[in-house]
Amino acid sequence: MGRLVYAAAMSHVLFPDYYGKNVGPHGRKMVEELIEVVRDMGRDMLAARPDALVVVADDHLNVFSFDAIPAFCVRIGRSVDRMAQDDAIEFDQALDGLPARYPVHEALAHRVLEDGLEAGFDLAASWAAPLDHAFLSPVATLCGDRPAPPLVPVWVNCFVAPLPTARRCAALGAHLRRVIDASPWNVALIATGGLSHFPELSLARVGESDPAFDRRVIDWLERGDHEALRALTGAELHRTGSHELLNWMVLVGAVAGARARVRFFGEMGRVDLAAVEWTPAA
Amino acid sequence: MSRYDLNVLLYRLKKDSAYRARFLTDRTGALAGLDLDAEEYQAFVRWDMRRLNELGGSLHLLLSIPGLAAH
Repeated sequence: MGRLVYAAAMSHVLFPDYYGKNVGPHGRKMVEELIEVVRDMGRDMLAARPDALVVVADDHLNVFSFDAIPAFCVRIGRSVDRMAQDDAIEFDQALDGLPARYPVHEALAHRVLEDGLEAGFDLAASWAAPLDHAFLSPVATLCGDRPAPPLVPVWVNCFVAPLPTARRCAALGAHLRRVIDASPWNVALIATGGLSHFPELSLARVGESDPAFDRRVIDWLERGDHEALRALTGAELHRTGSHELLNWMVLVGAVAGARARVRFFGEMGRVDLAAVEWTPAA
Repeated sequence: MSRYDLNVLLYRLKKDSAYRARFLTDRTGALAGLDLDAEEYQAFVRWDMRRLNELGGSLHLLLSIPGLAAH
């Protein structure tokens, strides 16, 4: 039987130049500290020798367009490419120099997709969607110069309303866990993004975060109070700029009540940064 | 113009470098024939990102159009 051998969630713009430019020296310093923590987490992850790495993250209208935005999408196929964008902005300059192509754990991806449809999760599938910084900045930081395990990318629509609910994202996480437990593989599972930034997705409010809300979230995660997290409304997430917490909610569902260990929490002002790990019950 | 159409135009500016180059050099020509009301047209002509966002334009598109984004 398979096993969830590693579970974590972390902020995903792991790019000091971005914070150096947009926040200043203290932003650069804070993300550099987070990067060191994520590198250390990566050593733990790879020591667990996962056969696959499931990455739950969002699209920043790099991959999907307003023509069709899936609530949830699973990347299938044998490999997945790094996103190419002419004159990429700072977020995605973090992708420069990374491998152009990554293997997909095709069998696990199909189980997530097909068993999901059987279980009532109407997942979209993509054979072609590439990966932006939300996926590859954490993967690259976790793995360093070691090869990444075969990936299973899963997208959550965090930005184009209407969004899936926090409760539904947790239910998807429980589905992922059932698939992993029933599989023959050892699997690592991470979610990326957050914490609060870009409240109400308002350009006028870029630069604000909501540290009080983020402290509550971290407290709930540490205490394993997952019902408080599941009960978060779309309006709360939108008001506080916590849209990407939906990715984390998938992990909350997958770890089934386990308490998080907070490896990093920093209040930067523009965004609050965090990284947490769980030791899921067998 | 609907929220959909406004965002399709922003997405095109992000992804279509030839169209983006035309918009940068001939803004009114690039917008000619599009289904924009007066307020939307003026917001694009002035490249008033805050107004485009208030009219329904995606923040993440506005923040990521090469040469036009102010992040």
